[in-house]
Amino acid sequence: MKILEMLLKAFIFPGFLFLSVYAFVAEFLDRKMYARMQNRVGPPWYQPIADFFKMIGKKTIIPADANPVIFRLMPFVSLAAVAASFLYVPVFGSKAAFSFNGDLVIVLYFLAIPPLSSFLAGWYSRDVYATIGATRILTQMFVYEVPLFISVLAPALLAGTWSITGMMAYYSVHPLYALINIPAMIVALISFQCKLERAPFDTPEAETEIVSGALVEYSGRFLAFFKMSLDCELVLVISLFSAIFLPFTTGIAGLDFLLYIVKTLATLLCLTLLRVSMARLKIVDIVSFCWKRLTPVALAQVVLNLLIRGVL
Amino acid sequence: MNLEDEIAGKLCEKFPFMTDKIYVQKEKRIFTKPLSRDEFEKTIRYVHDELGFYRACHVVGTDDGDSIGLLYILSNKDSILLILRESVPKTNTEVTSISDIYPSIVLHERELVDLFGVMVKGLPDGPRYPLPDGWPDGNYPMRKEWNPKNFNKETMTYQQPQETEAQKNG
Amino acid sequence: MVESDNFGDNRIAVPIGPQHPSLDEPGCFDITLEGEKVVDAVIGVGYNHRGLEKVCESKTYIQDLYIIERVCGICSHAHSTAFCMGIEELSGLTIPPRAAYIRVIVAELERLHSHLLWLGVACHEIGFDTMFMFTWRNREKVLDILAVLGGNRVNYGVNTIGGVRRDLDETLTSQILKTMEMLEEEIKYYVELAHTESTLISRLAGVGKLSKEDVIHYGAVGPVARAAGIEDDIRVKEPYGAYKEIPVHMITDTNADVYGRTVVRILEMQESINIIRYCLKNIPDGAISVKAPRKIPAGEVIIRVEAPRGEDIHFIRSNGTDIPDRVRVRAPTEANWHGMKHMLEGGYLADVPITIAAIDPCYSCTDRAIQLRSEKDTRVLDWKELRQYGINFYKKQGIDISTLSAGR
Repeated sequence: MKILEMLLKAFIFPGFLFLSVYAFVAEFLDRKMYARMQNRVGPPWYQPIADFFKMIGKKTIIPADANPVIFRLMPFVSLAAVAASFLYVPVFGSKAAFSFNGDLVIVLYFLAIPPLSSFLAGWYSRDVYATIGATRILTQMFVYEVPLFISVLAPALLAGTWSITGMMAYYSVHPLYALINIPAMIVALISFQCKLERAPFDTPEAETEIVSGALVEYSGRFLAFFKMSLDCELVLVISLFSAIFLPFTTGIAGLDFLLYIVKTLATLLCLTLLRVSMARLKIVDIVSFCWKRLTPVALAQVVLNLLIRGVL
Repeated sequence: MNLEDEIAGKLCEKFPFMTDKIYVQKEKRIFTKPLSRDEFEKTIRYVHDELGFYRACHVVGTDDGDSIGLLYILSNKDSILLILRESVPKTNTEVTSISDIYPSIVLHERELVDLFGVMVKGLPDGPRYPLPDGWPDGNYPMRKEWNPKNFNKETMTYQQPQETEAQKNG
Repeated sequence: MVESDNFGDNRIAVPIGPQHPSLDEPGCFDITLEGEKVVDAVIGVGYNHRGLEKVCESKTYIQDLYIIERVCGICSHAHSTAFCMGIEELSGLTIPPRAAYIRVIVAELERLHSHLLWLGVACHEIGFDTMFMFTWRNREKVLDILAVLGGNRVNYGVNTIGGVRRDLDETLTSQILKTMEMLEEEIKYYVELAHTESTLISRLAGVGKLSKEDVIHYGAVGPVARAAGIEDDIRVKEPYGAYKEIPVHMITDTNADVYGRTVVRILEMQESINIIRYCLKNIPDGAISVKAPRKIPAGEVIIRVEAPRGEDIHFIRSNGTDIPDRVRVRAPTEANWHGMKHMLEGGYLADVPITIAAIDPCYSCTDRAIQLRSEKDTRVLDWKELRQYGINFYKKQGIDISTLSAGR
């Protein structure tokens, strides 16, 4: 029975099926809010699902010079990484499906896989635009990983545990300590927007400069799965963010689930607001912004948290 | 009318051949009758260096029957247009480019090469303009004798109408 | 020529065009990059060569009016105004003052919708889609007025030889004034945005620099020249039509880059609103056209008007019949292309689309050949071979497109 329960948790709820459904819902809400803020109508609720099934039915053209194995493998590697790491984030109740001390670091490492698989996909596509897009992905990754890691690990330092479930448990006992992490929250929000490659940090996918960046040669079902993995990454990011920085729980499992939905949607609203109101930044500006503004704030937060932990 | 007459006067002073070739058509328009190659070369450098005509707006090609007329339109800071005319026979259409002093004339001189068959010497390297690369030689669309009805787009060849006449007669 | 290959020494050649999401019309810019910096640019352009000038030589003047209007979709009124002015001058006609005022009103409305379109496209090039949506929504209001006035949203055939064809009535006048009020509010917001929005400024400032000396050297016109501080506006320097009586302020700026051009265009929109209001207040009553002769006396004329993109020159030579001898249209963009190579080199790849868009290019080109290079061999395909390559590729998939015409 334990195995059955494990399988249900991994694949149905809060596993892969829930993740996929929520991914489509999140994409719809993101696009709808984006459109309404621009005084447009926006897509209907079934648009992301329709897009997915349409793309699966389309012809897949693989360039003759591209590496056939890597080209086909990358969408699924990306999706698998995101689906696996989602299991460590608390969704129903204040405990994740699976947790152990150190799962925070595992989740952050798994989160590095989608950009890396985009890079490999672009590099092995053997296309000029894909190469430039892939290089930009890596450049961006080098600059946002540092503030991201530091700002996410700061609350963990304060809580004294490396497990997300453990952190949620700690902050539900001491809710006011979550307010200390506000600078890290802002840094993390911006760094997550960077990781998701959304405006103003969408230079790896700049449509008007390099057509579609690393994924320019993708079409058909591989593109469908890549897009799905990006949506799942969005859900993972908002869930992780609300678990670490908005760790308010009530203890009642059903109510916690509703609270989870509310928190993640609020985070999504913030991310969409960022996307709507800014132009795309150049890669040199992103590099200097991350190093000069985000990293110092994150470092200051870590120092502060260590001091407070020492005092407590 | 003052500024225009002043400019015309300066040109006549410097180049005696200008006295019966230059005329002020109306406000802000100074025309010349066709100049020879030599006269044109001297004039264009003088108006660029001394008279402040810093911008070459355009060069218009016209088909005048046996010759190709070239009208170089120059502008100065008071927005007065000076139009220098040159005429080259269709049998020998060699001219020198003025793109060394007026870089903004390059596209228009390339147009003369493609559409009128004027041989402009001294143009910088670059793709031709505006006709496509596969365009057959010897076809100059803007010459009056070139009839678009005789041009076959599928095979990109120009069929002389005289051939069909000969077939009818003989 | 398009090359997509890596040079040995860290350089990479990127083709922007002829098919590219950032270009509205095909144009070929072959950029050589070293990292993210542009080290070389080859510009291949030619207007969508429809052979308009050759056509004009075989049709009458009034038929040519419709052709000239369609040289460009967005500056159509400027071209037709210039053409009509040229013929009116050759035949010694004076158009009624009311017609002159209506021509100015339509010209300024055209300037408004062209600059709004440009603002939207520029923001889209830098990834700021929100502004793109806002400006194009405002543009719809201007196009509504033009549709009522002329019957069409673009290529509104308002001009005729001897005057205009359509008149303004009370309802239209009040609709125009209401729209101007709404636009004034929106443009105030754009001015504020241009001065305070930091992501916008960081993308536009310092990009595509063309200093005053360079503008003079390369002969740029219009907002590109005015952004460098050069006073070049035909409405002020050589007023034509009703501009002789209407006060026009020339807008110049000292930032000789894309940011300067943005500011110039936004402020010109404000000025256009003022001009339209002045015209509607002071428009004289009377007829809207005079009868024009069919045969135009022989002569030559050069006309200049201020199109939204800069100085537009028309040359007309007539020979006494009702068919022109030579018609030549020099669109303003033709003067602006020459500085493009200078503006692109030394910048970043991210700046290429906005630099190209900032001169507000208005024509297309036909690309000629593609060079394919793989490890095994180098081949050059011209248009015929490229087309055959495509046909063979699809024949293998079971689709036959060879029956479609190869004509251009």
